Formats: sequence, structure tokens, C-alpha cells
Amino acid sequence: MNAARLRLVLMYGYSALLLAFMLAPLLVIVPMSLTSGNTLSFPTPGWSSRWYAELLDDPRWLSSFWNSLVIASVVTLISCVLGIPAAIGLAWGKFPGKRLIYALVAAPLVMPVVIVGVASFSFFASLGLVGNRLSIILIHSAMAVPVMLTTVMASLAGFERSLVRASASLGAGPVRTLFKVILPLIMPGVAAGSIIAFIISFDEIVVASFLSTADQRTLPRMIFSGVRESISPAIAAVAVLLIFLSGILLALAGWLQLRSERLRRKVRT
Amino acid sequence: MVLLAVPMVIFITLIFIWPVARFLMLSVDNSDLSNGLARTTMALDGWQAGDGVPGEPAFQALVADLAQAQRDGRDGVLAQLINQRLVGSRYLVIKTANDAALGKIAGPSVKDALLAKYPGWSNPALWAVIAANAAPYTDYYLLASLDLERDGNGAIVRIGEDRAIFLQALARTVWISFVVTLICAVIAIPLAQAIASAPPVLSKVLFAMVLFPLWTSLLIRTVIWIIVLQRNGPVNAALTTFGIVSEPLDLVYTRFSLYIAMVQVLLPMMVLSVASVMRRVPDIYMRAARSLGAPWITAWRRVQLPLIMPGILSGAAIVFVFALGYYITPALVGGPTDQMISSNIAFFTNQSLNWGMAAALSVQLLLILLVGGLLLFTARALLGRRSDA
Repeated sequence: MNAARLRLVLMYGYSALLLAFMLAPLLVIVPMSLTSGNTLSFPTPGWSSRWYAELLDDPRWLSSFWNSLVIASVVTLISCVLGIPAAIGLAWGKFPGKRLIYALVAAPLVMPVVIVGVASFSFFASLGLVGNRLSIILIHSAMAVPVMLTTVMASLAGFERSLVRASASLGAGPVRTLFKVILPLIMPGVAAGSIIAFIISFDEIVVASFLSTADQRTLPRMIFSGVRESISPAIAAVAVLLIFLSGILLALAGWLQLRSERLRRKVRT
Repeated sequence: MVLLAVPMVIFITLIFIWPVARFLMLSVDNSDLSNGLARTTMALDGWQAGDGVPGEPAFQALVADLAQAQRDGRDGVLAQLINQRLVGSRYLVIKTANDAALGKIAGPSVKDALLAKYPGWSNPALWAVIAANAAPYTDYYLLASLDLERDGNGAIVRIGEDRAIFLQALARTVWISFVVTLICAVIAIPLAQAIASAPPVLSKVLFAMVLFPLWTSLLIRTVIWIIVLQRNGPVNAALTTFGIVSEPLDLVYTRFSLYIAMVQVLLPMMVLSVASVMRRVPDIYMRAARSLGAPWITAWRRVQLPLIMPGILSGAAIVFVFALGYYITPALVGGPTDQMISSNIAFFTNQSLNWGMAAALSVQLLLILLVGGLLLFTARALLGRRSDA
């Protein structure tokens, strides 16, 4: 084996080890969650799906899941309504103060969440809105809109603007052009942005733990409060389900990206 | 066109920027004390701690202020704020406010009546605290976040060793973030190289594998490390089975588990950042260096490393900035001596409702975040200019 080949083997061998470090914990939890015992241990004393059944039986898990689902869906919707027009305006418009807007939009991305959580707690407490879903939805939306904006702007970067003029010259109004020409072409970007916006809200724990009360728990909040006692296998079961969900969403986003590349090539030719 | 962005700008300003700015302002806000004790501070104008116990007018004003505060339901807040500055005076203030509101402190001399009932008011240090809080703004919290305070004469001094905790937490936060960034940078490079130089399909697979943990929730990944590293978890099972240790180790709730979890959580960002720069670096430079006789390691260090440095630096900036603000991971997998600034911010909000302190620590965190990010991005920009030349 020559030196170059050895280096290649070392590089891939090392990469495999590092990926194992990053991924193995996510996989080892699957057999652990299928335990028949009362505590999490490895190796498992026996196999059973009782902890998954427990999730369905315990109304707190279901209601927190439902809560998170509602919050994340509304957040996704708000992100679309605010983010898509802003992306079009910023990508195509020429006006002073663009940098200021970018700085404004970057703030939610870099601000440590604990500061966001404490600040929003203080803010909504003064409005009497703590423990209300609305407060969580609003803050999550502010955190998700910037991501939606950047994703949609990226998909607008390869957009053939002559299509908009063509549509206008054929007599379509701006609204019709938006829904019949622009949106179908940037749909993959919008969908990818929506998935990320959904995940940001669905997984968010810090703001949710400051703003939610015991009966308005989100799913991450429910997991968090379970971790502080002793970790029940039910938590491992939730973790497995959530890992599975993010796997599906990642695959979906990947497929959307492939589709958008193909679509763009088709438009060009 | 600009109109399309207006709703988003208004939304983010109202829902995000305004609450955060309003909260950060609490770090210098002193209106609770300066309004609540307005009459007393006015009466104390010109008085100094060296003068001893102030005279009758100050006592009359104090009793009037505290009676008013009690009726407005703000005596608890006042007592807490004074107690923060002079530990042990909460009870005294509340009792005095109660009696003042009921008119129990009266007589030809309010001073004599109050001192007879509550001799605690003969302490000039307590009056000095009140006199120092006449202004609506204070540097008390910002100084305290650096383990500093003002002494009786208004000079800035270090607080006693037994109460000094914040500088230590600051140093620990920066150190943990630095170590995590360094580990991420070093271990990410070969994997990024594999992603950048692998054949297209393999490259996409590797890319997806790096991306996958990033899509899993931070909380889940943190919880999983507790499960994996616990005493009867898989890591300890493997260690004991192979006879490396005889007894399971306490791996969770240590600095070790904190580093492991933070590196795993932040590593994808470093890998992606480095790989994106590597993709744009053609391998002809390396080949040219090799064909000119440089050994591989020299060629890599002198040619490839400087070329990918911008990627490493922007990855480092992202990892460092995220690590500084981490809250959930240190709170769950770190031990009590591994807590960072963010956990202090949460503590002063949840446990003691000390908004001023929470806000001052947030200002501190944002400042080091800004400095850290600026340093790394400046380094990157300088590097970019050099390689352009």
C-alpha cells in the first residue's frame, strides 16, 4: 500500500469513527427504549413495547404533543406569511436600509436563547400573557422567520425574473403572478423553509419552559421536566419517535432540494 | 418592493427586538428604588455615611415613603432591593413599612420612635444604601456582574471573596466555549476533507449523515448523552465487559460529559462550514506543492491549511458564539461546577426574580459574544485579504 492510499484509508476510517460518535447515540437509544424493565439500562433485561404503549395511555404526553403540533403549525404559517413577501422584496428590490434589515433579521439567529426566554418572560408577564400559547407562538415565529427568509431568498437567487415580466405582459396582475408563476417556482425553497420553521418551534425548549405553565406544556417541556427526575424509558421512547420524525423531515427536505435543482434546469432550457 | 418587507420588520421589532431591548435596559434601571424612596433620598441630599445617623427630616421622609410603599403593595420589592445591597435588611424594611402604614411610628420625634422600635435604623450603612439610590439609573448590577461594588464613598472596589462568583462563571464560560471550539475545529477537518473529496454519491451520503444530528432536537441529543453515559448505560457496559474498568464510572454530570455532549451537538456546524470552503479549493495546489518536492505533511500545512482557514474560522465563530450561550446542555449534563453564565441568568429569573442581575449578566454575555464573534470574523477578513493579494 502506498502512502497516498494509506492516507485515503485513514481519512475514511477516521470519518467513519467520527460519524459513529455523532450518530451512534441516536441509534443505541432504539434498543434501549424497547426494554421491558422499569429503568433504562444496557443491555436490556428483555424486550417489550410497553413504554410506547405508555405514551399513548398517558394523557399528558398526548396533550403536550398536540400542543407542540398546534404551536409549530401556526408558527410555520406565520413564517410563510411574513417571510415570503419579505424575501421577494429584499431579493428584488433596491432600497436604502437593506443592511439594517439584514442586521435586524440576524438578531434572532445569534441571540442566546436563554436571553430570549428571560426577556420574553419579562415582556409577556407585563402583558399578562404568560402561560398562553399565543406568547410562545409569537416568539417562536420571530425565531423562525429569519430562517424562512434566508431559505426563500436562496431559492429566489436562481429565479429567472423575465418570467415575471412575461406574466405581466400577458395581462396577469401581481397577485395572479405571485400565485401562478412565482410561488410554484420557489415552492421547494418555501417547503424547505417551512420544514425548518416547523422544527425550530417543535423542538424549542428554553423559551417554551419560561413561557408555558404546567397545563400548557409543549412536548420538549414535558421531556425536560421528565429528565430532571429519573429518566424513564418513556423518555427514550419519545426520543426514538422524534429522531424518526426528524429523519423523515430531513429526507423530505433533501428530496425537495433535488426537485428544485431539476426544476431550475428545466426552466433554464 | 420595500413594502413587502415591512410586515416582517415590524413583527421582529415588536416581538423580538423590543422585548429584548426592554429587558436589557433593566440592567441599569433603578426606578423601583428611586421612586419608592424619593422623599427619603431628597431628605438625605448632602448627607454622607461619615456623618453618622441622619437627622429627623430623613426619618420622617422614610416613614412616609415606606407607608406609601406598603399601601401600594411595593414594600416587598423595596425590601428585596435593599436586601440585595445590604444583606439582612429585608425583615427590618418590611416590618417598618407595616408599622409605618398603620401609623404606629409616631411621636414628637419620629427618629426616636423608630430607633426605639427598630434599632437597625441606627446603621449608617443602611442609610448609605438609600442615599446611593436617588438616581433612576444605577450601575449596581453591571458592577456586580463583574464582582465589583461601590463602597460608602462611591469608589469602585472588589467585593469580598466569599460573594465573588460572576468573574469565575465568566471565565468558565469562555474557557468551556474555547475548548469546545478547539476540539471541533481539530476533529472536523479530516471528515470535512472526506466530504469535499469523496465521489459525488458518497459525498452526499456523508453530508446527510453529518446533517442528520443537526436536524434532531438539541434537547433530545442532550438527554441521549445522559442515557448513554449513565452508570448502567452502554458506555459503562462496554467498559466493564472488556475489563477496562471493574466498576462503572460516573461519567454524567461532569466536565467530561459536558464537553462530549457540546462537541457532538456543535460539530456538524464546524464540519459543514469547513467542507463548504474545501469544496472550492481545487486540489491542484496540493499537487503542485507535492510535485515541487514538499512532503505531504508540509504541503498540507503550508498550502492546504491556509486555503481552508477561512472555513475553519467562520466555523469557529459559529461554534464559539453558540457555545457561549448554551443553557440546556450544561444544565442537564454538566455538574454543579460546570454551569455557565446562561444558567446564572436563568437562576436570577426563576429563583430570585432579580431582573436587574439577570439583565446585567445578559449584557455581559452579549458583550463577550460580540467580542468573540468580531475577533474571529476580523481574523477571517484579514486572511481573505491576504489570500487575495
